[in-house]
Amino acid sequence: MKKEITKYYPLIPVFTAYLFLFLVGKNISGMWQLVAMLLFYCAMGQAFNIFLGMTGYVDFGYVAFMGVGTYGMALAITNLAHIEGLGIGIIIIGFILALLMSTLLSMAVGAVALRLRGAYFAIATIGVNEGFRFLIEGARIWNGSEGLIFTAQLNQILGREAASSLMTYWADIMVLFIAALAAFVTLFYMRSKIGYALTALREDEDAAKVMGINVTKYKITAFITSACFAGLVGATSWALKTPYVFPPEVFEIHYTIEAIIIVLLGGAGTLLGPVVGGLIYGISKYYLSIFMPGFQLLIFAPIIIIIIVLFPEGVVGMLKSRTKGSVLARFII
Amino acid sequence: MSLLKLENITKRFGGLIAVNKVSLEISKGEFVGIVGPNGSGKTTLFNVISGVYFPEEGRVIFDGQDITTLQPYKRAPLGIGRTFQIPRPFASATVRENVAVGAMFGTLSGKVSVDESLEIADKTIERVRLQEHKDKPAGALTPVEKKLMEIARALAMKPKLLLMDEAMAGMHPNDIDQMVAFIKQIAVEEKIAIVSMVEHIMRAVVGMAEKVIVLHQGSKIVDAPTKEALEDPKVVEVYLGHPPEE
Repeated sequence: MKKEITKYYPLIPVFTAYLFLFLVGKNISGMWQLVAMLLFYCAMGQAFNIFLGMTGYVDFGYVAFMGVGTYGMALAITNLAHIEGLGIGIIIIGFILALLMSTLLSMAVGAVALRLRGAYFAIATIGVNEGFRFLIEGARIWNGSEGLIFTAQLNQILGREAASSLMTYWADIMVLFIAALAAFVTLFYMRSKIGYALTALREDEDAAKVMGINVTKYKITAFITSACFAGLVGATSWALKTPYVFPPEVFEIHYTIEAIIIVLLGGAGTLLGPVVGGLIYGISKYYLSIFMPGFQLLIFAPIIIIIIVLFPEGVVGMLKSRTKGSVLARFII
Repeated sequence: MSLLKLENITKRFGGLIAVNKVSLEISKGEFVGIVGPNGSGKTTLFNVISGVYFPEEGRVIFDGQDITTLQPYKRAPLGIGRTFQIPRPFASATVRENVAVGAMFGTLSGKVSVDESLEIADKTIERVRLQEHKDKPAGALTPVEKKLMEIARALAMKPKLLLMDEAMAGMHPNDIDQMVAFIKQIAVEEKIAIVSMVEHIMRAVVGMAEKVIVLHQGSKIVDAPTKEALEDPKVVEVYLGHPPEE
């Protein structure tokens, strides 16, 4: 039993970081906005890491899962708000719908794209978010390019006051929980057969196959898991926090790129990596845009390049090899 | 009953016939050397047996079951293990984790837990004497250690048949002798049939194989006990060319 617990030690630094963020946001006035942004980046990184980090496949269409998750929540709220007595149940239905939609989309994308490898997979997925955006706009699904605005419905369901504290506070807390849950699932995968299979296929897919690993099954497992978390992040960060959704905003490839940077900065396939990557990325972006508005990308890009060159395995990857053999090694993976 | 039976296997790549109507049989626990110059179809034949390629013609029968078009990941648990010509470790994972993967996915029951696999890995690593390196990433091993690691990884799968692709290439002659003795010992203890593929290191074949199959341009030209096979004029011709006319 003791052994079982030590297996989960690496969650301690992750959860400590989240707790610290929460306390900073709660106790230092004016910090909540930054903390909320950092939590969003950490959650997105943690979710994407399950696929990108553990399989080594780069999905450029990843934001599409966040997009459909946002729509899942938005659709639940807009369509069910008139039913009396559902109350907070609508939000739960929204989460279920978000999960369902991101699962379905990831199954559809995965069934086609996961047959491809490496760069071919990356190229094939680039079109997914754009395609989905144009489908919604062109076919006028879910109100097309006019999007869905559901502030009124949210007020109607929860009452004005509760709705406003949901948008400014509780949605961020939910993001924190989603990030923590994603971290837990990541570690659970790492410690189980799935993790071993994913490491093997990331390093050498053909060798993995002849060793008895059903690579397709494990790739799809990681893909769907990662997409589900993306859907949840979308449903909270983009639907509950800001109760409107427009196709060009939620299918913006920019977010995929941010997620890739976060995962690579922190250390792909590590548990703590997305937290570290999310913090470095979020903090530098935030302060650069305050102190050097207009120049942030010019300064930011070299910073990222320097970190990647210095630590090709990411910051946590570097820490991991530095602490090898010491007491700390048990906590940093 | 034979363990592995190939019936008239033909594998083409476009217009090139890599393996041409090859039939062979391997019995349980037998040591067989597959010999042939570069490009004679040895690796293709291995890939057909382990399922990386499906043959255009012919059948592959393993342990009484037709596995001609069975996916590779389903073959491993039946008892087909292999090592690669150029070692293919899961580089970022430790040696221990690499070997554990074999135990986890490559055994028939498929119900070996992670902890059990790691225990099996520890034991197997000791057998190939890599225990000092077991927590190193596999990518950091020397080439010879990587080969040993691959053998351990295959052994952890409890194979009935072990396909070794140039296991001795690039090794020092003394190491080869040691390796041969070692593989032989393990194979006898575990009752594994071994098919070892060799391009030119006859030392490895002579020391190990009971039977030698010689491939040339995709066809089997000789299938005989080791000594007989290596003295066969056809084999000499394949390797050294025509004897001078008198």
